[in-house]
Amino acid sequence: MDRRRFIAAIGGTAGAGLAGCISRDDGDDSEPTVDDSSDDTDDAGSENGSAERTLTVATYDSFLDAPSTAPGEWVKSEFESQHENVTIEWKTPESGLNHYIQRFDEDVAFDADIYLGLNVDDLIRADDQLDDSLFQELDRDAVDNAEHVRPDLEFDPHDRVLPFDTGYISMVYDENELSTPETFEQLTQDEFGGTLLAQNAQQSDPGQAFLLWTIHEFGEDGYLEYWRDLQENDVQILGSWWDTYSAYLEEERPMVVSYSTDQVFANRDGNDMSRHQLGFLEDQGYANPEAMAVFAGADEGTNTLAHEFFDFLLSPEAQGQIAKLNVQFPATDNADLDDEYTEFAQEPPETVFFDYEELQGNLDGWVEDWAREIAG
Amino acid sequence: MPSPRADPPAWITTSQHLSRWVIRRILPLSAVAAGAVLLVVFYFPTGIVFLEAVVPDGTPSLGPLRSVLTDPFYVGVLADLFARPTAVGEHLSSLAGWIAAGFPRPSLGLIGFTAYQAVLSTIASVAIGLPGAYILSRYEFRGRRLLRSLTILPFVLPGIMVAIGFFAMFSRDGPFNQLLGLVGLGPVELLFTLEVIVLAHAFYNAPLVARLVTAAWESVDARTVETARSLGASPPRAFLDVIAPQLAPAVLAGAVLTFVFTFRTFPIVLALGGLEMATIEVWIFSRIRQLDLTAAAALAVVETIISIGVLLLYLRFEASRYGTGSAPTPLDRRPLLPSLRAMLRPSRLAIGAYSVFVLVLFVGPMASMVVESLTGPNGFTTSHYAFLLDRQVGGQAFQIRPWPAVRNSLLFAGATLALALPTGIVIAVRRVRGDRGGILLDALATAPLAVSGIVLGIGLLRGLVFGIPLPGGFRIQVTGALAIIAAHAAATYPFVVRNVAPAVGRVDRSLVESARALGASRVRAMVDIELPLATAGIVAGAAFAFAISIGEFNSTVILAEGGDYYTMPVAVERYLGDRTLGPATAMGTILLAVTSASFVIIDRVGSGRGDRL
Repeated sequence: MDRRRFIAAIGGTAGAGLAGCISRDDGDDSEPTVDDSSDDTDDAGSENGSAERTLTVATYDSFLDAPSTAPGEWVKSEFESQHENVTIEWKTPESGLNHYIQRFDEDVAFDADIYLGLNVDDLIRADDQLDDSLFQELDRDAVDNAEHVRPDLEFDPHDRVLPFDTGYISMVYDENELSTPETFEQLTQDEFGGTLLAQNAQQSDPGQAFLLWTIHEFGEDGYLEYWRDLQENDVQILGSWWDTYSAYLEEERPMVVSYSTDQVFANRDGNDMSRHQLGFLEDQGYANPEAMAVFAGADEGTNTLAHEFFDFLLSPEAQGQIAKLNVQFPATDNADLDDEYTEFAQEPPETVFFDYEELQGNLDGWVEDWAREIAG
Repeated sequence: MPSPRADPPAWITTSQHLSRWVIRRILPLSAVAAGAVLLVVFYFPTGIVFLEAVVPDGTPSLGPLRSVLTDPFYVGVLADLFARPTAVGEHLSSLAGWIAAGFPRPSLGLIGFTAYQAVLSTIASVAIGLPGAYILSRYEFRGRRLLRSLTILPFVLPGIMVAIGFFAMFSRDGPFNQLLGLVGLGPVELLFTLEVIVLAHAFYNAPLVARLVTAAWESVDARTVETARSLGASPPRAFLDVIAPQLAPAVLAGAVLTFVFTFRTFPIVLALGGLEMATIEVWIFSRIRQLDLTAAAALAVVETIISIGVLLLYLRFEASRYGTGSAPTPLDRRPLLPSLRAMLRPSRLAIGAYSVFVLVLFVGPMASMVVESLTGPNGFTTSHYAFLLDRQVGGQAFQIRPWPAVRNSLLFAGATLALALPTGIVIAVRRVRGDRGGILLDALATAPLAVSGIVLGIGLLRGLVFGIPLPGGFRIQVTGALAIIAAHAAATYPFVVRNVAPAVGRVDRSLVESARALGASRVRAMVDIELPLATAGIVAGAAFAFAISIGEFNSTVILAEGGDYYTMPVAVERYLGDRTLGPATAMGTILLAVTSASFVIIDRVGSGRGDRL
């Protein structure tokens, strides 16, 4: 064997080993193709109804894998038992919806049919980044249970997404050390000096929600001044929700921006309830609805199956299970709720939140100005 | 099985020829392989992202970079200078104004603050690491080798574990303040300050300094010191003139690596110090989250230029330092505690005080984490470990199970070791020989340290996971286990080189030359002479390769792409799903146990080989 051939052989082997695969996008279609695995069988499926079908669902990892409870397992087995020959396959990309926005943008095929766990800011970012919509418009008539979705949680003006649950941002505090925080003004006063932990709104959902709540309260001309007062009163802004919550659990501070479902966990883990009191500032809670949508490019069979799946998720039983297992509030008005859940999950008297139109074009600037104010 | 024949079959002669050929070519081949790996898993992906900074929307432009450099938020008072570099008169007059005002502290912006905290972190890491290296290399005591093996441990801990450990150890009512209380001091509010960030950076990087310097110190030739002493030098003089110059490259390597790491620090600052302590990397992350790649790339380019600048200064210094060429007879170690009375000597008292400090800073947070894994609201519990067992036995296919995480971590780390160690050694040997190719390769292999992990992450996603489009609708994609191992190896070479090069550099050239004169091939001389004499450095390098692979998070999650290739740190992050620290700290404890055992084995195997030879 001569040297050149040897090098070519070595190089070829190494190259083939490293390059996991050479794959082929579906040629004639410029849209990313969805669900390659089921393409072959879908047509047959619509004819005789007995062929295998797969619905690939992208979501965030704690929907499947949270240490206490997660709804993923129940949703999969229940839906599969109700729908013969259907398999639910989960995907949890590290960067969430961004993963699919980028794939769509780069025209790379992606193996997911629907996305579960979409926030308002995700949808705005997808629309800002892409020329075409990442999601299909929904056929609401095909989702009977959609009529029970609470109108105050809807956030897409173009009818592409359906909310399936919501959380509320509130204060969680230790009543042994603090009186109940009731207003935004209180947080800037001596009594609450050096007590509050909040999150970086650049990277954390509750952090962003709390920031938006202050903008809702003080307006875009007044919120930075309010945050200056908070900073003077020694608010501590850490990175993620986890950073703040672990500091709270270590009793570094007696108050943290968190979710109003905190007591469900506290009860489940046998925690001292006095350290898990809820404070609804101005009798409000900032809502953080999570929605689901079908990716653009799904074929008709997949699209129909996706609508069936949405209908299932909005059924009273599934809404109750998701509320219990995901520890979030249902998005519908007729969920079958568990006693443990209704006892410990508290809803704020009044819900506030900005919808798509109010946030579009503003969100990034608001967050950036805020972050510069804090870090500067 | 072919039947025996008189003449060896053609394939045997070919393979003998081939193996001789491979051995002869092993140095260049490893170098080519290293270059190829770096190109695929580092230079190509980061290149894609960096290009966005200078060619946004397809047309070359300096706009993105200019907008960073002229923004006072990023560069403070320098913004004006960058905005109008030719207005020399104005700049001079504002400089004069500043001097006239009595040198008020100038605002250096986000980038200035990032550099400032990195300098402080570097000083702290060197100051804390050096005494450790001194004790480990100069004293003999029970458990020294074990301790030496475990110095690398902090390196593998996920940031969130360190944060949880620090919260537990240094909180208002935590063990640290209780200890202070015992001696009538404190309490101190350490969390959420610059000090705690610097300490956390020292937690990661002081062991790095200690490890590098210990390896160098153990390779110091005792005869050089004896010669100096016999010529009348006092011990301090001999230290300054003979030992210190031999340690300098290692100390500097530790300092430079610490600076570069802490310059692009991200999770630790936000977890322990908060947004007020934000670094440039925090802003890069936020741009990436908004998918504003141009702005992210512009910030990353500035960040990288500063880091590369520091690295280059160091590489220049290092190049002039290798090859003192003396056969190593290691320095004798003194007993740490020869007698009870010796405990009262100032040197031993100082060591005692240092040990207490090390216990608080290093053992404290790790022990707090272990305690957390065994504690529930009602005291002691094994329920968090029961959760892991449960997940292992009854977990769904789409859930993360502990054993595959342990197995994958060990497999990837073993493979990284197998790939990076030989290649790193080859680069080190060529580097020491002053070979141009070696220096170039070293520089190429070291540069990845200077690049933002977040930027590399998005580059890997776009370049390798999404793949490169080929004609006909095909894409070439690089994901899966091999890609992860390659990425880990690319992150590892510089550490192997930094550890091995000083040790190889001190190997007596005349020994190698004698062996060559007696007919040994270059490779044989390296394997039989140079490497055994450089064992300390190689073992240290191996430990780093292993540790980096175990602790790596960003590229692992991206290249694994939702498959079954998750590792222990990924499992730790996943188990942080809801409001109890328990399962994540239990997984973290397993991570600690598995990696400690690995390091002890690496050290034993490595030094066992050294003894035999």
